[in-house]
Amino acid sequence: MALLYPIPFERSGYIYYETVGFLVLLNAMLGIGWNIIGGWAGQFDFGPSIFFAIGAYTAALLSIHLGWNAWLGLLGAVAVSVVICAALTYPVTRLRGHYFAIATVAMWMIAQPIGATWPFINGSQGLFIPVAPGGSFAHGLLTMEFPGRGKGLGFYYLALLLFVLTLVGARAVERSKWGFYFRAVRDDQDGAEGIGIDSRLYKVIARCLMAAVFAAGGTLYGFWALAVFPDQVLEVNWNILPMMAAVVGGLGRLWGPVLGAVILIPISQLMTATLGAGPLAGRGIDLIIYGAVIMLIAGGRPNGLLSLPWARWAARVLGRAPARPQQG
Amino acid sequence: MAPLLQVESCTKRFGGLVANRDVSLAIEPREIVGLIGPNGAGKTTLFNCITGALHPDEGRIVLNGTEISRARPERVCRLGIARTWQVVRSFGRMTVLENVICGALRRTSRVGPARARALELLAFTGLAGKEDVEAASLTLADKKRLEITRALATGPSLLLLDEAMSGLTPLETAAAVELVRRIHGELGLAICVVEHVMEVVMPLSHRVVVLDHGEKLTEGPPADVSRDERVITAYLGERYRGRA
Repeated sequence: MALLYPIPFERSGYIYYETVGFLVLLNAMLGIGWNIIGGWAGQFDFGPSIFFAIGAYTAALLSIHLGWNAWLGLLGAVAVSVVICAALTYPVTRLRGHYFAIATVAMWMIAQPIGATWPFINGSQGLFIPVAPGGSFAHGLLTMEFPGRGKGLGFYYLALLLFVLTLVGARAVERSKWGFYFRAVRDDQDGAEGIGIDSRLYKVIARCLMAAVFAAGGTLYGFWALAVFPDQVLEVNWNILPMMAAVVGGLGRLWGPVLGAVILIPISQLMTATLGAGPLAGRGIDLIIYGAVIMLIAGGRPNGLLSLPWARWAARVLGRAPARPQQG
Repeated sequence: MAPLLQVESCTKRFGGLVANRDVSLAIEPREIVGLIGPNGAGKTTLFNCITGALHPDEGRIVLNGTEISRARPERVCRLGIARTWQVVRSFGRMTVLENVICGALRRTSRVGPARARALELLAFTGLAGKEDVEAASLTLADKKRLEITRALATGPSLLLLDEAMSGLTPLETAAAVELVRRIHGELGLAICVVEHVMEVVMPLSHRVVVLDHGEKLTEGPPADVSRDERVITAYLGERYRGRA
C-alpha cells in the first residue's frame, strides 16, 4: 500500500500529497529511532535534532567539498553522528530520569549558537547542495539528486526505503541482547546492574542507535531541501514530532511511532493547509486544534493508541462473518 | 581450601554513622551462611559493599583471589556473585521469561540459548506456566522467586539473598526455604541469607554471623549462636534461647 500510495498523485500531477507522504515516512523513521532511547532504554531525549543536524551538515559538506555521492555521505553522516553522540552521551549517563532529559535539552541549546555562528558550516547563511542537471529517475535514486519533475516521487521512495531499513533494523535490535538490556535498564537500573548489565554502556549504545537514524534522516532532508540551515535542521519540531509520534502511537512498541506519525503528520499538514490559510491565517488556530487532538489522545490513552484492544476488535469484526453460516 | 569470598576488616561510614566497622567474614564454596542482626545492624550495607553497589572505606573484599572492593556491580556479577534485593527489583514491564533471559544473557550473547536456559531455570524454581505474565502483576512471593531465578541465570558461584522471605505467608516461606535448599543441593552454590525470621535462618544455615551496631558480634554454628548471651540480649530475646 505504501508502495502504491503516490501513484494517483503522480498521474494527476498534484504532488503535494507525495510531500506529506515523505514527511510521514521521515518522521516515522525518526520516531522509531527515538523509541530506542525513549521507549526501550527509558531515557527521554529532548534534543535528538542535534544528530539530525550533524547528519545533514556532514553529508552536505562531504558533497560540497569532496564531491561524495549522497549515499556515501549518508554513511559518513551516520559514522560522524554516532562518534559525536558517544562522546557527548557517556559523561551524562550517570544522570537518571529527568536529569538525563535536562542534559539533552542543554545539548540542543548549546548546538543552536554553534550552528548559527561556526564559519566552517557557514553559520546562519547555511550550506547549499549543488545538483547536477539532467539525470534519469534511477540515477536520482542512486544520488538523491532529482533536478526534474520526479523529485516528489523520488524522495517519497527514498524515505520509504530508509524507513523500511530502520524498521527492520529496530526489529532486529528489539529481539537481540541489546533490546533486552535496554528494557532492563529502563525498568530498574540497579536491578540491571545487579545482573551484570553495564547501564552506562547500554544507555550510550541506545542513544547512538538513535543518533544513527537521525543522521540518516538529516541527510535525506538536506538533499530534499538542497540546503542546510541551522535554524531548520535544529528546529524544535525535529525534537518534538518523533517523540510525539512514539508517545501517541505507543511508547516502547515497534510500530508505535509509525502509527503516531501516520496520524499526527497528516493532521498537522491538513490543519496548516486549511485553517492556516484564508481569513483565519496567522492566528494559530491550526496549532490550537492540532494541540487539542494530541491532548485528547494523550489524556484518553496514555499508553498510546497501540495499547487499544485492536486484536479483540479485529477478531470481533472478522469473527462474525464466518460465524453466521454455522448458526443456519 | 581457600574461601570463596573473603571480607577483611571492612568499614563503611555514612558521614558520622559507621554502618560497618571492621567486619570480617569468609564464605566457603557450597556453604550456607546466615547473616542476622537487628534493624540497622549493617546487614544490607555489607551486602551492598560485597556486590559493588557501595565501596568500603577501609578493608578488602576478595572473591576467588580477585579483589572486588572497588568493582562496579556489573563486574562483581560477572565474577560470580548474584544477589536479590530486600525491595524487589523485577523488570516490571517485561514478562517473567524476559526477566530471566536478561540474566541468562550474562553467559551467552545470543537470545536463543539464553531463552532455553531461562525456561529450564523457571521450571527449576517453580515458575513454569507463568512465563508470559508481566512481572509487575506477580504476587510478592512470585516476584521474589523470579528475582532468585534471574540471579541464578547469571551463573553465579555465590548467591546473596537479602530478606528473600520477608513479607511472605508461612506457606510461601516454607516453599522459599525449600527452594533455597534445592539451589544449594542441586546447583551446588554457596548462599548467604539475610533474614529476620529465626525459624528460617537457624535450620537453613551451616553457620550464622551476627551483626550488631555495624560490628560483628559473633559467628558460629546456629546451635551455639542461639545460646550466646550477647546475641540473646542484642537481638534474639529470651524466647529464642537455645533454639536451633
